[in-house]
Amino acid sequence: MLGFLIRRLASSIALLLVTALLTFVLLSIPNQDVGRQLLGMQATQQAIDAKNAELGLDRPILVQFFDWLTHALQGDFGRSWFSSENVATAIGNRLPVTLSLMIGVTLVTAVFGYLLGVWAGTRRGRVDTFVQVFSVAGYALPGFLVTIVIVIVFAVKLGWFPAIGYTPITTSFTGWLSTITLPVISLSLAAVAGVAQQVRSSVIEVSRSDYIRTLTTRGLPRRRILFRHVLRNASAPALTVLGLQFVGLLGGAVIVEQIFGLPGIGSMTIKYTSQGDIPIIMGLVMLTAIGVVIINLLVDLAIGALLPKARVS
Amino acid sequence: MNKRVLGAIGAAVAAVLLLSGCAGGGSAASTTTHDKTLRLATMTVPQSLDPKDATGSALPFFQAVYDTLVLRTPDGDYKPMLATEWSYNDDQTVLSMTLRTGVTFDDGTPFDAKAAKANLERFRDSGGPDAANLAGITVDVVDDTHLTLTLQQPNPGLLFFLSDSAGLMANPSDFAQKDALVTSPDGTGPYVLDKDKTAIGTTWVYEKRKDYWGTAPDFSTVTMQVFDNENAVVNGLKTGQIDAAVLQTADQQLAAEQDKDLTLQDVLFDFQGILLFDRGGAVTPALAKPEVRQALNYALDRETLLKVVRDGRGQVTSQVWGVDSQGYEKSLDDYYSYDPAKAKQLLAEAGYPNGFELTLPRLTSIVTDNIASALQTDFAKVGVKLTWADVDAASALKQIFVEKKFSGMVMNMGQSSNDWIVYSTLIAPGTFNFFGTMDDEVNTLAAQARALPADQTAELYQKMNERIVQQAWFVPFYRMTYKLVTVPGITAAPQSGMAVPSIYNYSLSK
Amino acid sequence: MTQDAAIQTSGLAPAEASRPVSVWRALLSRPLAFVSAAVLLIVVLVAILAPWIAPFGANQADLIHAFEGPQAGHPLGFDSAGRDVLSRLIYGAQNTIGGAGIALLVALVIGVPTGLVAGYYGRWFDSVSNWMTNLVMSLPAMIILLASRAVLGPTVWVLMVVLGFLVSPSFFRLVRGAVAGVRGELYVDAARVSGLSDARIIARHVLTVVRAPVIIQVALVGGIAIGLQAGLEFIGIGSGNIPTWGAMLNEAFTNFYRAPLLLLWPGLALGLTSAALVLLAAGIRDALDDRGREPRAPGRARRRAMAAQRAAERAELPVEGRGGLLSIRGLRVAYRQGEGDDVEVVHGVDLDVERGQIVGLVGESGSGKSQTAFSALGIIPTDGYVRSGSILVTDREVVDAASDDARRARRALGYVPQEPMSNLDPSFTIGSQLTEPLRVGGGMSRAAARRTVLDLLRAVEIADPERVYRSYPHEISGGMAQRVLIAGALSTDPSLIIADEPTTALDVTVQAEVLGILRRLRDERGVGVLIVTHNLGVIADLCDRVCVMSDGRIVETGETTQVLTAPRHPYTQRLVASVPDETVTRAPWRDPLLIEEAS
Repeated sequence: MLGFLIRRLASSIALLLVTALLTFVLLSIPNQDVGRQLLGMQATQQAIDAKNAELGLDRPILVQFFDWLTHALQGDFGRSWFSSENVATAIGNRLPVTLSLMIGVTLVTAVFGYLLGVWAGTRRGRVDTFVQVFSVAGYALPGFLVTIVIVIVFAVKLGWFPAIGYTPITTSFTGWLSTITLPVISLSLAAVAGVAQQVRSSVIEVSRSDYIRTLTTRGLPRRRILFRHVLRNASAPALTVLGLQFVGLLGGAVIVEQIFGLPGIGSMTIKYTSQGDIPIIMGLVMLTAIGVVIINLLVDLAIGALLPKARVS
Repeated sequence: MNKRVLGAIGAAVAAVLLLSGCAGGGSAASTTTHDKTLRLATMTVPQSLDPKDATGSALPFFQAVYDTLVLRTPDGDYKPMLATEWSYNDDQTVLSMTLRTGVTFDDGTPFDAKAAKANLERFRDSGGPDAANLAGITVDVVDDTHLTLTLQQPNPGLLFFLSDSAGLMANPSDFAQKDALVTSPDGTGPYVLDKDKTAIGTTWVYEKRKDYWGTAPDFSTVTMQVFDNENAVVNGLKTGQIDAAVLQTADQQLAAEQDKDLTLQDVLFDFQGILLFDRGGAVTPALAKPEVRQALNYALDRETLLKVVRDGRGQVTSQVWGVDSQGYEKSLDDYYSYDPAKAKQLLAEAGYPNGFELTLPRLTSIVTDNIASALQTDFAKVGVKLTWADVDAASALKQIFVEKKFSGMVMNMGQSSNDWIVYSTLIAPGTFNFFGTMDDEVNTLAAQARALPADQTAELYQKMNERIVQQAWFVPFYRMTYKLVTVPGITAAPQSGMAVPSIYNYSLSK
Repeated sequence: MTQDAAIQTSGLAPAEASRPVSVWRALLSRPLAFVSAAVLLIVVLVAILAPWIAPFGANQADLIHAFEGPQAGHPLGFDSAGRDVLSRLIYGAQNTIGGAGIALLVALVIGVPTGLVAGYYGRWFDSVSNWMTNLVMSLPAMIILLASRAVLGPTVWVLMVVLGFLVSPSFFRLVRGAVAGVRGELYVDAARVSGLSDARIIARHVLTVVRAPVIIQVALVGGIAIGLQAGLEFIGIGSGNIPTWGAMLNEAFTNFYRAPLLLLWPGLALGLTSAALVLLAAGIRDALDDRGREPRAPGRARRRAMAAQRAAERAELPVEGRGGLLSIRGLRVAYRQGEGDDVEVVHGVDLDVERGQIVGLVGESGSGKSQTAFSALGIIPTDGYVRSGSILVTDREVVDAASDDARRARRALGYVPQEPMSNLDPSFTIGSQLTEPLRVGGGMSRAAARRTVLDLLRAVEIADPERVYRSYPHEISGGMAQRVLIAGALSTDPSLIIADEPTTALDVTVQAEVLGILRRLRDERGVGVLIVTHNLGVIADLCDRVCVMSDGRIVETGETTQVLTAPRHPYTQRLVASVPDETVTRAPWRDPLLIEEAS
């Protein structure tokens, strides 16, 4: 186990370094004349050059990268060029929003995806068809259309939930719940469909296996066999899918954030990447990469815990 | 299993709904007594809270914490703020100002002429976006409450600048430490930044200052929230989570109009049109001929464009001077009618019977599909082949203004209420006239106008306007009507010379 | 008796699968898949033929007509710039499908070959490509897309190529997993041994395994690519002048309050295409799994009527002469088919097992002996049902009984299955699986259950019961597993053990031990045994009585000695006659060299 973790750690560090370098180079290649963008059209060329020098943009790309790296290793990610925010603070402010969404969506998806998948996999017939259709609808409908309809119906017309904004959980638990409910529902619909499909297939497959049949003969109630034995063995593909979705959400649910006015990682990414605000983007890149590493590790550990046969030897 | 599970799910959903209902989804309150918090929505992010970086629509962020020397009222008049009196000398080159006494910053530093001088010089030398407004000005302290600004040449825009970003006064003891003011503004304004509640980049929260020297504002808290799309803003207005906002897009204005509780007022500040930089024909030789430029103006069907692009929300125009200014003449709005035949004739006269080719940069945020195809179609009808070059926002400025690759661009430009500023921004050689084209008549008029006090210049600017329109320096489309939207209980007044209202323009309804 | 045929553990032999022709037929016979394929075909055709079928140019605009509704020549109306919606929809198909196609192509070109090589050869290539896959997957997709745009140009094609690159890991993993799974298969080794080159093996054998999952993934990823494109347009990262459905959707959204209907057409197009892709993928997957058309279960009324009829029939059965442990009368078992009538596999079987008796149920594969055993145990596979008859387990009727009653009655039964390894839940330890019925059904404490199970493991002659208790199924041998299964069968303290071919999968020595255990159980505990087998030697060794089954009927029953030495029914006679005996058919072999030397 220890060896496994150490090897993971080493390869993860290499991964982070390469990711950082690649992204930094990719961002630096198109010289986007940051000085001019910051100072506006009225500024003199001299002032613009001075600004660019102040930001260190007149140095070779690799030198800039190593400068960033040395600072980053000490925990200093610098300041945004375009809004002067401290990068770590800025990301830290937005992270709770995205984390709330991620955790909320994953929970809802896991619970409803499993329930629907099990329902479809065991009942078959009409229920199964309904779940299939629902899955297809979940995939097929463009996400933002669904989100917009949800906002108009539940927030604007009915007024059950706020239409925009985010209340931190530290300020008010019910407030936080009310601001993330609609976004989580919007994001979960397609995700639930995917997980339900996976769970359904796995449940059908595992239900047919010999050991389930044998367990039935030992007098165990059907429900117990279903939830303890079938689900556990059917979980691996579903867990992988959940893990992938979680990672995807880390990139930020951009559209949902825009429509609900949530200050999350997604809209931050779009805005600052379009401008070429390298300090912020590199901070985001590191966050994403570290997040992916951790999540992959957790998924592998979870699968290993549930399915001993899959454990890395 | 199923009934029980369904029941459990149903109970959970009901619980969530119940809790959220209690949590305050915020109803579009139709009560007319509003609470003392003002929640503003904006699409602009200030680069920092250091006044040297202030510009344009970000001004309210600064107005909350810093006062300006001169206050510009909603109608465009200049009233005392940190300066109580001011006057020019006879040749308009020296502005003497008397400053208010008894105003201090939070740490006890007095606001006096020395402080004002430090601020003005810093703004001038800092290389910020509006620094050029104070270029060439020297500031001299006469005594604690008296200050003179000396110009090399008369600048009728100076008072405007002192009521705008250049006039913001910060605590000079913060100047020594670099970047101190960037996140910790220190001024004399009606509010103070609440750093704990503020999340820079998304929400700025200001609390009322306890001992403000001026009239106390109606609100004890002001929050400014940044959005990147107007759809969320309108939803926020409808649910009462936002109190006021300016809506630019026609579609969202329509959405806001659906809610009968909201109040909408017209704001006319921006116009949209083609800035034809290349009047000298450097990139497109044909444009050197005024007949050609006039032909472009005649070729455009402005009425249809306005109807389709902005749902008619705006006013067709052929001039770049705005309705607030002295140089504005209503008759010039229709100077160029829609006349493709005349356009073709003019082109033939100019020696281009078969038209010519024109390439313009396309910024998708400004040039939507309908504008792009409308221009192409209209110009094609008179023989001008218009090609759009896709430029991405980050490198656009460089390609257009530095590398000078294009003959013009479609822009949304503010129409200043100050005529001199209109001239110096759009017409005089400079940022928006980077090819440096000049017109003798305009030069003469400008030289005359700059030296005269404001009450004597109306006719000069009108003549200048007429000349520019007749020489077709631009191809304006229309002035765009924005809407200032407020919820019940909040009153706001549009601000002359700015797209968004000044922070002082908001109040609780009586 | 010929040879051991492949044992069907799930009841019915599945139809021939994985023949390409029948897959297509299976696919197209399902209405949903057929419709999806048709829709996709239409979309692709529209995309290819766009320049010829679109009535107007994609960017041909007449601003006067902007936002106008359907009219002559413009069946879908005009958009916000006065362009014909239908034409833009058609060209949009070209660009949207084309873009998705590019993304898919890039993903396939990168993912499939690397996956093949990594899965087949393994070693360093595998490790390196796995690491690179992780790298690509941890790159923040949005940032890469935006940054590439700045470097390579703001066209939609660039975005699609980068998207393809970002999505390629999913194909890599899929292919690698499938290939690695197959690499160890016997037929691949056989191919290698017969001298086929690696390339040939990969192309011919490995690719056919990989083909199906890749096709399904292509359909799913295609749908994702189309959806992503639309999403990117929505946030303003898009195609500029090129019409795509995503761009049309975004334009419709920006003008939502002025012309809400504009959302309908691109939304429908996107939705239908995505739905068709997903349904087609699901259809292919189902067709390959050969899940034939699902049989419709009869409605509740019909089921009640059938149960009533069965009860009526049972009421007429004589009460005497029914076996003490297990008594089956007139058992008919049938299977519902996707199409056509139900197929009956057991045509009225009578069987009795008395206390302390070992009864053998013998017959060829397909005779219905396993079905009979499953009926008694209550584990008939899906789509099978007891059509009529009575099954008494220790004098309690289990046919049509309430499920809890039946379950309690069947606690008297223990089941020893045929294939040891696949009958143990791989995710739980032996101990956990074996104690579970004791704690849940029997209400034992954890300590008591543990002691009981350890005793049982000792009873089945496992040397180190504590170690086996702690182990997972994949950590013990086949013979050990079969003993564990016997212990499991005993854990509920049954009166009758039903063993289904318990020795077929075992080595000969282990077979003897297992049979010995069964005999000892009868001798020491008085447990009855019903042993289902095709092996007459087992019958001869172990059973007191034997029933011979053929084609779903019992043809002969009686005491073992009598049936084996003097069979009455012709079928039994043939069975007994085909057992190899001492008749010499040829001379023993002698080494030719030695013969030569000797002579």
